[in-house]
Amino acid sequence: MPIKWILHWQPNAGTTVNSQILAEVSQCAEGINGIKEGRWKATISFYRAMTREQANANEFPRDFLGISLAEQPGKYYLVLKGQRLVVEAESSIQMIMEKLQSYKTRVALNFEGNQYQLGDFQLRVGKVAPMQSESLRGIVMEMEYLPISSWEKSHQIMGEFFDLWQEALSKRSLPGHFVHIEPNFSEFGLSDQYTSQHTAVQYASIMAQTIATAQSVQPVRN
Amino acid sequence: MECVVQGIIETQHVEALEILLQGLCGVHRERLRIHELCLKSGPNLGLVASEVRLLCDLEQPEPTWTVRHIGGAMRGAGAEQLSVLVRTLAESKVSKNALRLFYSLGYKLDHELLRVGFAFHFQRGAQITVTVSSVNKMLKLHTTDEAVPVTPGIQLVEVTAPASSENYTEVVAAVSSFCEYLAPLLHLSKPGVSTGVVPTAAAAAASLMSDGDEDGDGDGKEVVWHILLSCGLLQY
Repeated sequence: MPIKWILHWQPNAGTTVNSQILAEVSQCAEGINGIKEGRWKATISFYRAMTREQANANEFPRDFLGISLAEQPGKYYLVLKGQRLVVEAESSIQMIMEKLQSYKTRVALNFEGNQYQLGDFQLRVGKVAPMQSESLRGIVMEMEYLPISSWEKSHQIMGEFFDLWQEALSKRSLPGHFVHIEPNFSEFGLSDQYTSQHTAVQYASIMAQTIATAQSVQPVRN
Repeated sequence: MECVVQGIIETQHVEALEILLQGLCGVHRERLRIHELCLKSGPNLGLVASEVRLLCDLEQPEPTWTVRHIGGAMRGAGAEQLSVLVRTLAESKVSKNALRLFYSLGYKLDHELLRVGFAFHFQRGAQITVTVSSVNKMLKLHTTDEAVPVTPGIQLVEVTAPASSENYTEVVAAVSSFCEYLAPLLHLSKPGVSTGVVPTAAAAAASLMSDGDEDGDGDGKEVVWHILLSCGLLQY
């Protein structure tokens, strides 16, 4: 499976994210000859333990995520970041979790947008929005290099492309920049060969920052 | 959803049952070696207690894992009348660290079993699976190499078929009808309704095990037909 970097938008201190920035980022992808070729969507759900007593809730993990990815429509990924655990399951695991009633999803985020082809690279630019809402709370990107599946071997070329992308974007003087966090995949029991489980771990790794950005956005009033 | 019935058979008659099943199903049996871990939620987790099973298929070259949730049985006067249990069932294949995940979520191991035997999968009015297995317990945690039978000399037979709310009556009929063919050797009923072994089992098994190959094709199917005829389950 091709290597992918997940990038999240980090606003400058004192600023926030908005749809104008998203539009600029998309235009930048087109500006470097990215060919728009369709839409993509991922979803992250936050599971919370159900307990009879409020106090007991702290006994249970508070970082339990369920992730569905665009390229794996029949699969669902469960991540416990603190435990360095990622489990790949079928989508039916969501029904099992619902029937167990021990954990419920309180909040879910959608990541969706356009996809661009740039030679051997594929770029996805996505808006982060709460489920059932259109209001933009963040921006993520997926940067994929099709010819290589080895994380180590791809590092240099991915780094170079990332620098190229940052440079192109910097000409637009936007109040922020994209950040790439590299999780320690081996701690999750993942090998150098890239898989969708690696993608799920990357998404889990950007959640803290994504939530912080989302909370900084003024709520939309009707 | 699934339809399910269970029964028991003495280990000495399992070979005869296999011959009967081979004749009825027309497919080859598959070996079965499943490590089943039954997990229950810890004391403070959930508004109600919950239970989930992890099944590890040890017959595969690389062990494969499945999570299974068995739901409540269909209720009501109609359901009481059925000879087959209809219950909700949800399953998902999972990667191998699912057990660690559920432990981290607050589930505890309630018990574990090793089921060793064989299964037949075939189509007969519904997609039916018959499993015949000895149920074994492990003397030490997770040691599947050192498992001993829970009920020595007795094996569990289970007949299951997937169903939906639209077709469960047809599936129930298909399963019931198939179970009648096994009546000489064992009685199948809803899980939880125990009926013991069948008195005709020894005689039926003896007939099945004898060399009844009348037409010389080597499969002894004639024995199967004779048994079913003699029990009034088939007519000329």
